[in-house]
Amino acid sequence: MKITVSINLGGYSFNIDEDAYSELKLYLKNLELHLADEESSSEILSDIETRMAELFRSRLTPYKQVISMTDVKEVIAIMGNPEDFSDGESSSRKAKFYTPGPHRMYRDPDHRIIGGVCSGMGAYWDIEPWIIRVIMVALAFAGGLGLVIYLILYIVLPEAKTTAQKIEMKGEPVNINNIKDSVKKEFETVRKNMKL
Amino acid sequence: MDLENTKAQMRKGILEYCILSVLSKNSCYASDIIRELKEAKVIVVEGTLYPLLTRQKNSGLLSYRWEESQQGPPRKYYELTPEGKTYLEDLDKSWDELVESVNLIRSK
Repeated sequence: MKITVSINLGGYSFNIDEDAYSELKLYLKNLELHLADEESSSEILSDIETRMAELFRSRLTPYKQVISMTDVKEVIAIMGNPEDFSDGESSSRKAKFYTPGPHRMYRDPDHRIIGGVCSGMGAYWDIEPWIIRVIMVALAFAGGLGLVIYLILYIVLPEAKTTAQKIEMKGEPVNINNIKDSVKKEFETVRKNMKL
Repeated sequence: MDLENTKAQMRKGILEYCILSVLSKNSCYASDIIRELKEAKVIVVEGTLYPLLTRQKNSGLLSYRWEESQQGPPRKYYELTPEGKTYLEDLDKSWDELVESVNLIRSK
């Protein structure tokens, strides 16, 4: 027995095995990273997703309704690795991936209590978010200053939505290995939540 | 020198030309283009096509329209713009010249 996940790929809905899902997600993340410098990268991505959806559909029958790891591996082999299909300029792009990434402050939605402001600051400075929360609350009682600061930061700081942003938030270089790690972590959390 | 790398470079060079040639006959859905390119063995992994298509579209050689499909979501059909057609004619000429040059050298 296996747990399946339901996904929307290129406008089609699929049931996909849990392990196959994490493999596919990793591939698409990797792709997104490699195409990041490309003009209209989101368009390219959605075209590729549409094509993958088509390939998956051709593998499903009334007797086989769930996408397995084998399907995902086969389809990825057909589409190819992103390293293979960026053009000649890719070498300079690749070099870019391994330089230390930008360090930006975001709101951290994964560890938030209210809006993720304090958890985001904690991730940025690498300190426990509760220390910042205590300071904030103290400031809030000191004439409401904490509330004002919180509100301004909530408006000013963007939420870390993508995996790349979550890595930037911690100031780690954005590269394939990092993305792999955080996608895996994210996936583990989803799995834990589902078992509860 | 790496033989596989040289081969890949050669294919990359002509791929752009091949895409335009496929589209010169009629407007196509991306998967139709892929089928033709695969039959002709100029493409190995499918992913190569999509960044190229979008780049050609952004530089005004191609345009696309959405067309309803019975099997699912609407499909993107690509076609050559007038600019793309002149571009292709130029490429046709330079391809012929290239073939001639290479043949000349090989036959000596």
